[in-house]
Amino acid sequence: MPSSAEVPVPEVRESRGAGLQRWNRRLHSYVGLYFLFFLWLFALTGLLLNHSEWSFAEFWPQRKVSTWEQSLQAPPAGSPIEEAKHLLAQLRLPGEIEWLAVAADPSRLVFRVVRPGLNHEVKYDRALARASIQRTEVNAWGVTRVLHTFTGVRVGDSRNQRDWIVTTAWVLAMDALAVGLIALVAGGLWLWWGDPRKRRSGLTVLGCGLLVCGAFIWGLRWFGAA
Amino acid sequence: MDAPRTLRGMVRDLHLYVGLFLSPFVLVFAVSVFFLAHAWLPGGGERSPVRTVADVPIPEGFERLKGREQVLAARAILEHLGVGGEIGFVRYQPRERRISLPLSYPGRETTVELDLATRVARISSRPTGTADALVYLHKMPGPHNVAIRGNTTFMRVWRGLADATVYLLLFLSLSGVYLWALVRAERRAGLLMLLAGAGTMGGLIYAVVG
Repeated sequence: MPSSAEVPVPEVRESRGAGLQRWNRRLHSYVGLYFLFFLWLFALTGLLLNHSEWSFAEFWPQRKVSTWEQSLQAPPAGSPIEEAKHLLAQLRLPGEIEWLAVAADPSRLVFRVVRPGLNHEVKYDRALARASIQRTEVNAWGVTRVLHTFTGVRVGDSRNQRDWIVTTAWVLAMDALAVGLIALVAGGLWLWWGDPRKRRSGLTVLGCGLLVCGAFIWGLRWFGAA
Repeated sequence: MDAPRTLRGMVRDLHLYVGLFLSPFVLVFAVSVFFLAHAWLPGGGERSPVRTVADVPIPEGFERLKGREQVLAARAILEHLGVGGEIGFVRYQPRERRISLPLSYPGRETTVELDLATRVARISSRPTGTADALVYLHKMPGPHNVAIRGNTTFMRVWRGLADATVYLLLFLSLSGVYLWALVRAERRAGLLMLLAGAGTMGGLIYAVVG
């Protein structure tokens, strides 16, 4: 039996690299499996958002609208968001608060509370301590579409901030999926590079993808210079 | 049961090459999530000085046209002005007799204002940056202004690429599941990850939807 001094060092290095690749492949596999259903949800809902003409996924014409009025205890003086939360607690309506247009009449508080599939528009009259509520409910297609974009914020809209903890949890899930996808790409690239037989062909395919994508991200803007 | 080596090899190669081609597109959609979910758009530049063009040939009754017809007529005007981009929408202000046309390429937005009375066009553009370009590509073609969306060649091509990304991602996920299932030693751990992911998603959807 050879002594430990006779074990060639390159073999140790090769097995470490192979070990790392094995873990990388497992990670690639496990991350992909964990996010599988998230990926399907966002991919398919993205397809629905890009194809509003698909009649089988119609949701707006089938919406159910109902309205009612309700007397509510006047909220204590505070910021509009605090007042809205107080009213919503009385109405037992959880969701993300959305401010619509700035109310011209300070005696009224007008806002919407949103969750995927269910919107309530609340118009509260401070003088009468009475609210008019319009409820809009959509079908499962409508729910899935909103799940894709439900973040509580919009670029360029400083009036609306995320104010529901469940929205924050959903946004964290979106972030996690994005990180997972980036990890899958990075791990996949490392797996590919670890196989010298596939490097040339892989480089060609990757190069094509980069070229097409890069043309859209950076190439088109030069056409638009006024 | 062992899958035939040729099928396993074919699926593995397809998974690899489709994944390699798709990876830049996946990164576009993934990276733009951070900007969209947190309403944060770094980058962008200053608006260019306004360029004025007189005697613009605006067809009679242009403001009364609708949808695709109006966009086609607008395209002819824009060609005369030497500007391009996907027309976002056409806004007519009847009191001022003015039409506003925002045009976009990923990373650049141009605004054209047409004065119908004087037939003068005012044009200015602004570089919006790479982050905005990624967000724009993520959102396009989108569910808004469907009647006029795809009024440029690049948008029609991107619509196809966005669809292809989804279909190829579905293929990648299914082929990935197949390749995982072939490795007996990893089935248990993989199944746990699958169930954990499904449980997490199910719980979150239940909390959000109610």
